[in-house]
Amino acid sequence: MTGFLLRRAGHALTVILLVCTATFMLVHLAPGGPAVLADPKLSVEERTAIEERLGLDRPVLAQYGLWLARVARGDLGRSFLYEVPNLRAIGERLPNTALLAGTSLFLSVLLAVPLGLWSAAHRGGWVDRVVSGAAFVAMAVPTFWLAIGAIFTFAIALPLFPAGGATAAGGSGGVLGRLYHLAMPAVVLAAVTTAELLRYMRSSAQTARQQPFIRVARAKGVRDAAIQWRHVLRTALIPVVTVLGIQIPRLVGGAAITETVFAWPGLGRLGIQAALGRDYPLVMAITLFISAAVVIVNLAIDLAYLWIDPRIRMDQR
Amino acid sequence: MSTPRRVVLAASLVALVACSGEGPGPNALRIPLINDPILNPVLAPDIGSVLINKVLFSALVRPDEHLRPTPDLAESWTTSDDGLAWTFALRPGVRWHDGEPFTARDVKFTFDQALDVKSGSRLRSDFAAVDGVDIVDSLTVRFRLKAPFAPFLSLLGYNAGILPEHRLRGRKLTDATDFNRSAAIGTGPFRIVSASSGSAIVLERYPGYHGAVPALDQVIFRIVPDVNAQVAQLLAGELDLVPIEPANLGSVERAPGVVVARNPIVQHVYVGFNQLRPAFKPALVRQALDLAIDRQAIIDGVVKGAADLPRGTIPMVLSGYFDGSLPAPAFAPDSARALLARAGWRPDAEGRLHDAKGAPFALTILVDKGNPTREQAALAVQQDLRRIGIDVSIETLEFATLVRDRVLPGDYDAVLIWWTTPPDPDQYSFYATGQDNNHVRYSNARVDSLLGAGRATLDTVARRGIYAAFQREEMTDPPVLVLFYPRELLAVSARIAGLPALGLRDALRHTERLSVKR
Amino acid sequence: MSPAATGSSRRRATIAAGVLALLALAAVLGPILYGADPNTLDLGRAAVPPGPGHPLGTDESGRDVLGRLLAGGRVSLAVGFAAVSCSALLGLSLGSLAGLGGRRVDAAVMRLTDAMMAIPALFLIITTLALFGTSVTSLVLAIGGTSWMGLARLVRAELMSIREQPYVEAARALGARPTRLLLRHAMPHLLPTLLVNVTFGVGTAILMESALSFIGLGIQPPAASWGNMLTNAQAYLYASPWLAVYPGLLILVTVVAVNMLGDALRDVTEPGERTT
Repeated sequence: MTGFLLRRAGHALTVILLVCTATFMLVHLAPGGPAVLADPKLSVEERTAIEERLGLDRPVLAQYGLWLARVARGDLGRSFLYEVPNLRAIGERLPNTALLAGTSLFLSVLLAVPLGLWSAAHRGGWVDRVVSGAAFVAMAVPTFWLAIGAIFTFAIALPLFPAGGATAAGGSGGVLGRLYHLAMPAVVLAAVTTAELLRYMRSSAQTARQQPFIRVARAKGVRDAAIQWRHVLRTALIPVVTVLGIQIPRLVGGAAITETVFAWPGLGRLGIQAALGRDYPLVMAITLFISAAVVIVNLAIDLAYLWIDPRIRMDQR
Repeated sequence: MSTPRRVVLAASLVALVACSGEGPGPNALRIPLINDPILNPVLAPDIGSVLINKVLFSALVRPDEHLRPTPDLAESWTTSDDGLAWTFALRPGVRWHDGEPFTARDVKFTFDQALDVKSGSRLRSDFAAVDGVDIVDSLTVRFRLKAPFAPFLSLLGYNAGILPEHRLRGRKLTDATDFNRSAAIGTGPFRIVSASSGSAIVLERYPGYHGAVPALDQVIFRIVPDVNAQVAQLLAGELDLVPIEPANLGSVERAPGVVVARNPIVQHVYVGFNQLRPAFKPALVRQALDLAIDRQAIIDGVVKGAADLPRGTIPMVLSGYFDGSLPAPAFAPDSARALLARAGWRPDAEGRLHDAKGAPFALTILVDKGNPTREQAALAVQQDLRRIGIDVSIETLEFATLVRDRVLPGDYDAVLIWWTTPPDPDQYSFYATGQDNNHVRYSNARVDSLLGAGRATLDTVARRGIYAAFQREEMTDPPVLVLFYPRELLAVSARIAGLPALGLRDALRHTERLSVKR
Repeated sequence: MSPAATGSSRRRATIAAGVLALLALAAVLGPILYGADPNTLDLGRAAVPPGPGHPLGTDESGRDVLGRLLAGGRVSLAVGFAAVSCSALLGLSLGSLAGLGGRRVDAAVMRLTDAMMAIPALFLIITTLALFGTSVTSLVLAIGGTSWMGLARLVRAELMSIREQPYVEAARALGARPTRLLLRHAMPHLLPTLLVNVTFGVGTAILMESALSFIGLGIQPPAASWGNMLTNAQAYLYASPWLAVYPGLLILVTVVAVNMLGDALRDVTEPGERTT
């Protein structure tokens, strides 16, 4: 057990170092340079001063060493665009992203697990057909189109929900106001996740139903409902947990589009704007932060496997 | 669904709406920003920061509706005979948003920082002519200049908001993160209540404001990165003032409760030809290219009318200096061909131009990626130049790449770009020989001396004559091919009153005058 | 699986394949057969509703919408297929490298895979394109370069499991180089997986291009793609909504068809992992 954990921790560290190096290279090999230097109005003197202040005048290798040394100390550098420590910029957005991603993940699980089980148990029934059809459509619609359609319908034509923002304009509104602003982006973001999760749930529940011990249970006259919940759910959840692990980076990254359309102050949007604004340190910090989070979550998921299904051997994967 | 249940549902929805406090804000102006701003006029790197800083921070002077500098934090000023010393009498009784008195020390502190290249200042080149600032007494400051500098006053009213010395003394400006993000203190008509990253910055009326009592209770800057989302929020009644692209006109023009303002701004959009390239060196060639472009078609078709026909590089909105008596640019492809023939470019059988050695006249226009208006303008220029036999291709590049890798090193033929300038006709740094911002490498001795004299001459009448001469010189030796003077398209909620007919940059210096119609 | 289910699955696969064939045909032949040039500006006839001369109307710059849909379809489908080919190539070669290359190589490739999976793909693509600039090539490379990891893992796992087989052991004992043997035996098992992966990948890539267009990093104007047509239509949603409907529907139909086909293929090739 300890050996397994140590090995996995070693892997995680290697992965993080790789991400560090890769993002640094990606950013520093790019043509054009950071946007702070791209103002055509800057004089040569100002340009030099900015380069000096931001450390851009040093050799790339030295900058790389500095970046690694900083990361090792837990310092992710300062944003060029916002003049703040990157960790602070990330920290300010993280709760919003967690709220949005968490809510839509919750909605997805809430919908997908029972619907998936039902569809698997009643294959070809009308619920199965409707749900499968809806899942197909949800997976094929560009997210931003869905988001804009939602705003057009439910904020402008039929003014029920706000068109954007995380709170009312004045920042007031309390918890209810927060939920009210959360509703549309969370549902839009949940659409794809729900569809994918549902398809996995349905197929893994189906596979589970065909396993010998469940067939035996059914033959012995154990009621179907009991089988569903006790055995099928437990067996079917294994692949679903895997999918959830994959969904987390997708939710953070994919949320960027939803966050942009709904003006939701999340991390994904900060990332996009950092990339478009060529804010090198912030791009590197966000990439590193998200991937470190993913690596840690995956580690946790591996441990969860052990808990869900002790048959899984620790040296696998 | 039975009726009672439906009623309950509707009622709870209404209650939800009421709870959230949405709906047309009571007495507030809501403006979108793309990004979190930096609340510090000396550091402000982008237009969003500049906009909010104009509301939070007053400057020594501010532009009036004709963009002339008028008193703000300075009550009056005098200039020494040699033009090297400017003395400002500051308005007494002005208090910072935290109640501290505003004094000459604040002015000196601000400009010491602005002039220090190491502070992260973005105002350094605006005030390169300033040698130093002296405190005469607590309400008098004197600026020492290295040379007479006529645009000085306009620049003081442009981006140079005054910072509070008592909050920032002894700190590196770039490290004053709390101030720069959420705890900024100014002397403007509105002060900061709250700032939440990526979401909104809420300002409220500052009762101690030194000017007229602000009519609005609040000014709220909401962070909405996408322009189409901004328009959607405007239509949903969640924003009041949205700068739009010509493409958005169709959506907002028909919308009830929205009016569109088309205010001229101090900007010229142009195609710059790199005069390091021998082909563009002769004035004759640039004159010919000037004649080949159907500007009216671009203004009508691409910009949807939101621009004016140019006469040189000094925008029309600078009414004190713009010489409107000059003829509007002609669209005369035949004259263009004739001029090019005189410059040695002969058409072949298919009308394509070649030089004496048989090399074709070919050029690539660079344009920045992501702005459909400029991309379409580039296409229109391409079509027009092809018509007179020039082989034109277009290359779209990320703005940073375009500027740093191509324009600054001079590695390009032509670039479609623009200058937004302070409200002053001084264009020395753009079009005088060898200046940092003269990216087209234009060189004309007469222009050099005119532009040099223009920035050194304080007398307005004499100055007007100088810039009229500059404009005429531009007709025969155009530094760049000016396409149009754009107007800023501003979609405004009809409930807002009192917006001056200025670009948003300058209009926001007068936020205390804006109000909500009852 | 009941015979009825097989039938309905087969029927759906046929319909999906038919729809895709039709779309591909339109994209390949359409621009040739249909005369209107997709890039000619006619600023005087902008945003004209469907009517004679312009069967589907014109867009904001007076360009023929049908012409652009056909040309855009060509681009969108081509980007989809090219990106998937790129991803498949990477997945196959890196997966084989890991499966055949020994412990160290395997570890290196697997850490690389983990690292790539840890960074949100959309974010990585946006960063790459924002910094290096967008072109059809960079778009294809960026989408392909961030979607090979799943396939690589499958290929590796397949190779690993075959390696344990007695006949491979035997061959190795006899001194045969196992690489070719492994690949020859693995291929028949991998081909169906590859096929399913590629099919789903096309849909993902088309959606990705449209998302990137929304950020301004997709296919660049004046060239048309369904994604950038949909993005441009946003500004005209209130005045000329049809501009958003056509490309949106085409993306929807294409991706639904692709996913259906993928499902059907999976049913045929991996009866255990059925989803229809």
